Amino acid sequence: MTLIRESTEISLGEGYASYEIDSEKPLKLKLTGTGHSDAFIRILNCPELTVTAEAGEGAQMTVLFWNGNTDKMHASEKYTVKRDAALKVAYAEVEQADTERNTDIELAETGASAVLSSAVLTGVRKEFNVRVASLAPHTDGRMQNYSVVLKGGRYVMHATGEIVKGAVRSESHQTSRALCFDEGMTSEILPILLIDENDVQASHATSLGRVDEDQLYYMQSRGLTPKQCTALISTGYLMPVTQVIDNPQLRDELKEELERKISELCSM
Amino acid sequence: MRTLEIKNLHVSVEGKEILRGVDLTVNENEVHALMGPNGNGKSTLLGAVMGHPKYEVTEGSVFYDGQNVLEMTVDARSRAGLFLAMQYPQEIPGVTNSDFLRAAMNARRDKPVSLFTFIKEMEKTISALEMKEDLAHRFLNEGFSGGEKKRNEIVQMKMLRPTLAMLDEIDSGLDVDALRIVANAINDLHKETGMSLVVVSHYERFYELIEPQFTHVIVDGRVVLEGDAELARKIDTDGYDWIYKEYGVAPAAEAEEKRPVISLGSCAVGAQMRKDDNR
Repeated sequence: MTLIRESTEISLGEGYASYEIDSEKPLKLKLTGTGHSDAFIRILNCPELTVTAEAGEGAQMTVLFWNGNTDKMHASEKYTVKRDAALKVAYAEVEQADTERNTDIELAETGASAVLSSAVLTGVRKEFNVRVASLAPHTDGRMQNYSVVLKGGRYVMHATGEIVKGAVRSESHQTSRALCFDEGMTSEILPILLIDENDVQASHATSLGRVDEDQLYYMQSRGLTPKQCTALISTGYLMPVTQVIDNPQLRDELKEELERKISELCSM
Repeated sequence: MRTLEIKNLHVSVEGKEILRGVDLTVNENEVHALMGPNGNGKSTLLGAVMGHPKYEVTEGSVFYDGQNVLEMTVDARSRAGLFLAMQYPQEIPGVTNSDFLRAAMNARRDKPVSLFTFIKEMEKTISALEMKEDLAHRFLNEGFSGGEKKRNEIVQMKMLRPTLAMLDEIDSGLDVDALRIVANAINDLHKETGMSLVVVSHYERFYELIEPQFTHVIVDGRVVLEGDAELARKIDTDGYDWIYKEYGVAPAAEAEEKRPVISLGSCAVGAQMRKDDNR
């Protein structure tokens, strides 16, 4: 694990690497990915984070941001994906501190692809403004956003999938789901598709709502309290975000951490 | 002795009365068959005892082991020893069978079950039910065939070891071999623990395997006839018509059909259809 305390440039090569960001001041991070790289970045403290990143030609670059900030954070991120490169960016938001996140992913050259995933468990304000844009032919952009919104929480997800003119045979797909168990929270999902080319595929799926009453009854009929049901369902809902990283040990650790957070919040 | 005592139970679903005064007593170690035509209240009775939120108890009482069941939450009923193997088990995506079952086992223990003990127990149960080894890691009932869901209900029952299990058409969707496997698993637990059973099935083949000592027939929300295992056999051979005649009862579905249902909507659609036919 490498500690980051000030603005820095990181070159992500082959294999797995982990970082911790701990900074009282705004911090700029420049990431460059080549080969097959997996990066786990835990944010312990950072009021303002700016990321610029590039997945180089043919690179397979994965970055998971685990936001452990206990104070408000504003993040602004810009990714450029080069020819035949595959980028995965994932966000886990489980701390109860406000977050504002603007992410812009540009599929700049032919064959570029990107998957943006987010998992949010919140009883506070979490706002996302994300864009994945196809700027070249044969590119593929996907977004998968899952959130569990608890009492007092406000979740905003503005997700834009864009395909510009000339980006033929490109695809833009997005799914955003918000789950709630109680009353007294706000969720706003705004899926946007900006398509300026005919020979493309694009889709969006959105759902907002409570857990099915029959599912809760089924779980309760085996002895679980409503809070325990909430915790189990939330874990299942948010865990897939950890699967972007190809490191079983890290995945197990994150699962435990997520379960602990969820059970803490669900027992409040 | 643990006894389930249901007295004069009236239950409504969305304002419609389904059970109209059911009395039933189930003692420890007893096996009861619950029979009756479809839509006459068998599942409603089991669901009301378990506490399904859609079933409103309007009159009567349910006590188990001296405790007032109707005052308990669904999860408290389960922890008190009641278990309902459901006719249509729910699918819960994202929650694995093992996480779910471990949480359910821990919910009824002071000290959590150790991972080692849990895995050993789960493997043993999966093998007894002859299910695929990956069951533990699959999401709860998601993508399961009808038969797999039913077997998984019995996996849960074996792991949770209730003192009274209600089985709602657990045999439907099972092939002949699966039926034997499920019946053996139920009988083993019954013999080992003295668990009481209330079994809803339409088929004598299943009752032959489970061997109930008592049979109750529910028609139009009431228990109209009670007997021993022989009564289940007679119904399997002769159906329910003789009961309707001898006891002067009519099944709920028939009563429903006799009621004329007229709505303006259906008249308008009918009129439109006739108009279309004339073109």
